[in-house]
Amino acid sequence: MADNSKFYFAKSHEWISLDSNNVYNLGISDFAQSELGDIVYVQLPEIGKQYKKDEKIGEIESVKSVSEIYAPVDLTIKFVNSKLNETPELINNEPLGEGFIAQIELNNSSDLSSLMDKNSYESFVKSNHE
Amino acid sequence: MNDKNANNNENGDKKTPLYDKHRNLGAKIVSFAGFSMPLYYKSIIDEHLNVRNNSGLFDISHMGEIIVKGKDAGIFLDYVLTADISSIFPNTITYSLILNENGGVIDDLTIYKFSNESYMIVANAANTEKDFAWIHTQMLNLQKTKTDNGQYMFQNVTVDNYSEKIGLLSVQGPKSRNIIYPLVEDISDNYGRSENNFCNIFNFQYNIKSLKELNHFEFSCVRFKEIGIEALISRSGYTGEFGFEIFTDADDVGKLWDYILEHKELSNLLPVGLGARDTLRFEAALPLYGHELDETITPYDAGLEKYLSKNKDFIGKEALEKIKNKDKKLIFFKLAGKQIPRHLQRILDENLKPIGCVASGTYSPLNKMPIGSAYISDSNVTPSMLKNFYIDIRGNFEKAEVVMPPFHKIKK
Repeated sequence: MADNSKFYFAKSHEWISLDSNNVYNLGISDFAQSELGDIVYVQLPEIGKQYKKDEKIGEIESVKSVSEIYAPVDLTIKFVNSKLNETPELINNEPLGEGFIAQIELNNSSDLSSLMDKNSYESFVKSNHE
Repeated sequence: MNDKNANNNENGDKKTPLYDKHRNLGAKIVSFAGFSMPLYYKSIIDEHLNVRNNSGLFDISHMGEIIVKGKDAGIFLDYVLTADISSIFPNTITYSLILNENGGVIDDLTIYKFSNESYMIVANAANTEKDFAWIHTQMLNLQKTKTDNGQYMFQNVTVDNYSEKIGLLSVQGPKSRNIIYPLVEDISDNYGRSENNFCNIFNFQYNIKSLKELNHFEFSCVRFKEIGIEALISRSGYTGEFGFEIFTDADDVGKLWDYILEHKELSNLLPVGLGARDTLRFEAALPLYGHELDETITPYDAGLEKYLSKNKDFIGKEALEKIKNKDKKLIFFKLAGKQIPRHLQRILDENLKPIGCVASGTYSPLNKMPIGSAYISDSNVTPSMLKNFYIDIRGNFEKAEVVMPPFHKIKK
């Protein structure tokens, strides 16, 4: 993932980012993975399916807990990171990179403005979880 | 601000003396049994495997210590606890249950016998106050009761809760001796010489084995070199591995924790949180109160009948003798899929009829698969005949297979 790629974060701790190939990627934040701990199972979203904002698109299970993944905006799944079937710990190791969950199309590109940039997300996490 | 705040978190949870050290090590802190405890420092899986391969250090100061003393202490504990207590050798440990009148399990415990007149009960953190209240009430009731020949018994018993005065660490794993042996000085011959001797509270009466001679479920007294801290050390644990549990003064346990961590390279030791404590105990098929045990479960249900003494009367025995059939049967299983079974999820037979509930469910870091235990409450089901069955994991029916525990000894 390009260094200069911009990340947009949701309050439910997912991110969306445009990579160097002009493809939108979706994943969960570093804070989210650190809260979950060792991830042992990921239920990936369905390829080709359209999801509404805040709809559940998948599940992440760690040794101690289960957490749902939500669509941060209206989107369509184009590709899923099937490496996570065998190596779900990629999310722990590289939540913003190799541990992405899916590649998506935005159903309405202006929706991104409803999300937070990195700095706002970090202060959001700080004020809500510390 | 009052004094209590020093030992309590904002959410009302208690802290062990090591709370700040866990925070400084970057632990994820969770609420467990009324205490703020480390769930993990970096990774449950890494900490788990390090205990199986090397060694790990646990803060288990949240656990309770109840000291029972007096001439009648042995016969009193024989009546309150299910296992034989007064007749075990001094300086050994026994596992026991404490039952209510209906035969339900109030707690599972280990009991340290120092002499015929001095014992220590080590209790689950969540149950310590309940156990202490129960034991104390039984004592008062028994002391008021006249025997058939007009005598009052159990007059010479004292029951004291030492839980806040004692800190407890556990060092577990095949390399545990590599770190403990070099750090301690054997004081088994002269533990009673100094005045501020921690071990004095236990009133030893018999010769103590030295640390290196200890078998499983035996204990000794040691002094940690350089820091000069004295401790009661037992060959025991909750992981299925070789290991030690180390009791010391609550005021000294921080220094002892640091001292052991400073020498971690001796055994590739890592601090280990409660997350791995649970996955380790479960792979070893050791019961956890609140999961495999509670007041609605009898020792027969849990497969713990070997801890019910046939040699004596005890609270709950009469009720147990009336039970003809087990209400429930405890089984252990593994899953083919990857989703993890969780406490109280439903067990379904091959026709998807509910036949029981998950007791414990977790991920086995050693076998890299989900594993669990369950109570089968359908009396028509024989666990050994159970072929195809399913766990209802949030609406997904995941196929499971009965296995013989422990899971950490299963050959792949």
